[in-house]
Amino acid sequence: MKLTGSQIFWTVSTVEIIMAVWLRVSPAIETAKQDAWISIIIAGAIGLAITYLVTHVSLLHPGETLTQFSRKLLGGWIGRIVILPYFVAWFLLSGDVLRSFADFIHLTILDRTPIWILMVMILALAVYLTGISGITGIGRFCELAGPVTFITLILTFLLNAMNTKLLHILPIVGDSSWQEVFKASLPPASFFGESFMLLVLLAFISSNKKVLAKALSSVAFTAIMVLLATVMVLLVFGPYVGMELRFSYFMLVRSINILNFIQNVDVLVIFIWIFGVFAKISLYLFITSYEMAQWLHVKNWKKLMWFCAPAIFFIGLLIPNEETILMIQKFWERIVIPICAIAVPLLLWLMTIIKNKNYQKKIKYKT
Amino acid sequence: MKKILFVFCLLLFSALSTGCWNLKEPNQRAFIIGVGMDMAEDKELEISSEIAVPAGLGSSQVTGAGKKNTFTVVSAKGKDFMDAGQHIQTELSRSLFYAHRQTILIGQHMAEEGLGKYLDMVVRNPKSELRSVILVVKDGTAKEVIRADPTFDPFISTTLGSQQNALGMKPFYFRMLLCDAFSEGTQPIVPAITADPARGYVYAGSAILDKDHGLKLIGFLNPEESMYDNWIMGKQKDLTVTTSIGKGNETISLVVQSLKHRIQIKMVKHQPQIHISLHGVGSIVENNSSLDPSKDDDLKTIQRKQSQEVEEKVRNLVGKAQHQYKIDIFGIGERMHKQHPRIWKTLKPHWHESFPELPITVSVHLRYRDPGQTNSSL
Repeated sequence: MKLTGSQIFWTVSTVEIIMAVWLRVSPAIETAKQDAWISIIIAGAIGLAITYLVTHVSLLHPGETLTQFSRKLLGGWIGRIVILPYFVAWFLLSGDVLRSFADFIHLTILDRTPIWILMVMILALAVYLTGISGITGIGRFCELAGPVTFITLILTFLLNAMNTKLLHILPIVGDSSWQEVFKASLPPASFFGESFMLLVLLAFISSNKKVLAKALSSVAFTAIMVLLATVMVLLVFGPYVGMELRFSYFMLVRSINILNFIQNVDVLVIFIWIFGVFAKISLYLFITSYEMAQWLHVKNWKKLMWFCAPAIFFIGLLIPNEETILMIQKFWERIVIPICAIAVPLLLWLMTIIKNKNYQKKIKYKT
Repeated sequence: MKKILFVFCLLLFSALSTGCWNLKEPNQRAFIIGVGMDMAEDKELEISSEIAVPAGLGSSQVTGAGKKNTFTVVSAKGKDFMDAGQHIQTELSRSLFYAHRQTILIGQHMAEEGLGKYLDMVVRNPKSELRSVILVVKDGTAKEVIRADPTFDPFISTTLGSQQNALGMKPFYFRMLLCDAFSEGTQPIVPAITADPARGYVYAGSAILDKDHGLKLIGFLNPEESMYDNWIMGKQKDLTVTTSIGKGNETISLVVQSLKHRIQIKMVKHQPQIHISLHGVGSIVENNSSLDPSKDDDLKTIQRKQSQEVEEKVRNLVGKAQHQYKIDIFGIGERMHKQHPRIWKTLKPHWHESFPELPITVSVHLRYRDPGQTNSSL
């Protein structure tokens, strides 16, 4: 199983863009009002820093996934315990995404379909793709779906150009303080910080060349698209309406009306939403199964898919209401990102440096 | 065994992925084209829905004979939008479908009571439509207007947006009302229409809603005033100015395009001073006076005279807003908020009281790009 550099780029951005554009624009506007776009820029910078950290750590251990090198560095037991938060995070995230997806489709198109059927359908597809081809298939899928997503997003922004009112974005940092602007940057930053999945993904790269640049540019690309979406929502709806909308980007698309002719493009946009969710669920299905196989010393990781897929399904099913989804997002922002994206990678980095020094000392003693 | 299972799964999923159980054929739906909201005598909400009758649409094109109505209007009272919708449904054999609603009409009584509390459904309901234009019915109920038979199109709802376009305005969509209603300092100015038994439905200027008091109607602007107000607010694309000139009150008309508008705010001793400046470039389309626009002197006279006259009208409008309605219909508060956010915070709580006292000056500059096809008047 191999991934090329461009597949890394498209995988990370496809998986991140859709969710961030769909779910993170309104929360940012809610806190920072018309300055939400500054918050997104700050969030992008935080995301880049996290990505740099995890890519760097991961590249120190070529060909090894997170579980492999943490066990190598920290020893069998501690190495295993350190990985546990990652499993919690990944399972919760995929369950949450699966549920949000089903809820949204239920709300907009298939209102008489039980939610679990929608979840089973997309999960079955994800099992199929992951089971047949593993990470290579997911990478290829993202290479196709990513550009489609990108073009669709840009197109919807352009088609909305007539609806914009530039004045909506003023005054800059007048109503909200810098404090609020920074505070508003945390929710989107937590979504960009999702790039800590690179700790696993980078084990599969075909060559080490320019991987860092590819990883960083994918997060930058995601941040730019979210930035554009935020600016467009602000320009079309203004801050006060924008913050009340649950899916503000979707509403943006629904207000497209060019010459009474180009209307109702929202149907097309649901496609990219499904693409993004599908890529995300497949990817996390792969990551959790593969890492769990490493964790349990099981040779064939595909067997663990039969545990992970139902686990994701039940987590999605058991989420009782919108409040829980918001709580999971809070949990992700307050606990998962600090531990999984910052603390553990830093620890592993430190251990790598210490081990390398010891190793060099040993070589010196020998010579 | 494995193959059979695989084929079975494939069949199951192809059946599932069609989503057939969620299907509703168009002939099971009643397409709502427009909706009218009224407040009945007993303070109950009354919704009138204009529903397309597809059978009537086809027959009118093929033959004139056996013409069916293209639409039907069903009204019902209810506690809110959807409650009334339920009552409308009792009269219809097809289920109501909101996604094609083109127009929302608000009856005058409804507007006087305030429509602030009924805005939610239009956005929340995922089957609802955000692209509807919204209008207030002056001196009447939405029910009467929505029943009117339009001249060109099969439905009145589809014509109201085009009518605004034809009048040189940008159509006023529901989304814009939302933006204004939730903004810091723009009072929504909603186009108004009136039902006239002899002439059908007539554009009647705009309704002023007070966003700080539940979007209550506080008055109307006539078509000319709303044209200038729209100009100040950047909602007008072109307009025609006619002035009388010279001794015999001969007239001269100008179609003004490329309209520009600007509101300048100067802070003098912590007191804001407002200057509204309007620019427009256009061409003469009618000249009944003895002046010759191809001569520089005459041209200047015409320009000055017309600018002065428009300036006077805008000044009257400002006076009306400040002294009669006492409400900021020019978005000056919003401009204040954009340019001086900190000062605005102190001004906002009592903006309603301080607005009538504001010193507002107006300047208008009209220029000619094109004198038309003749030199002096024929």
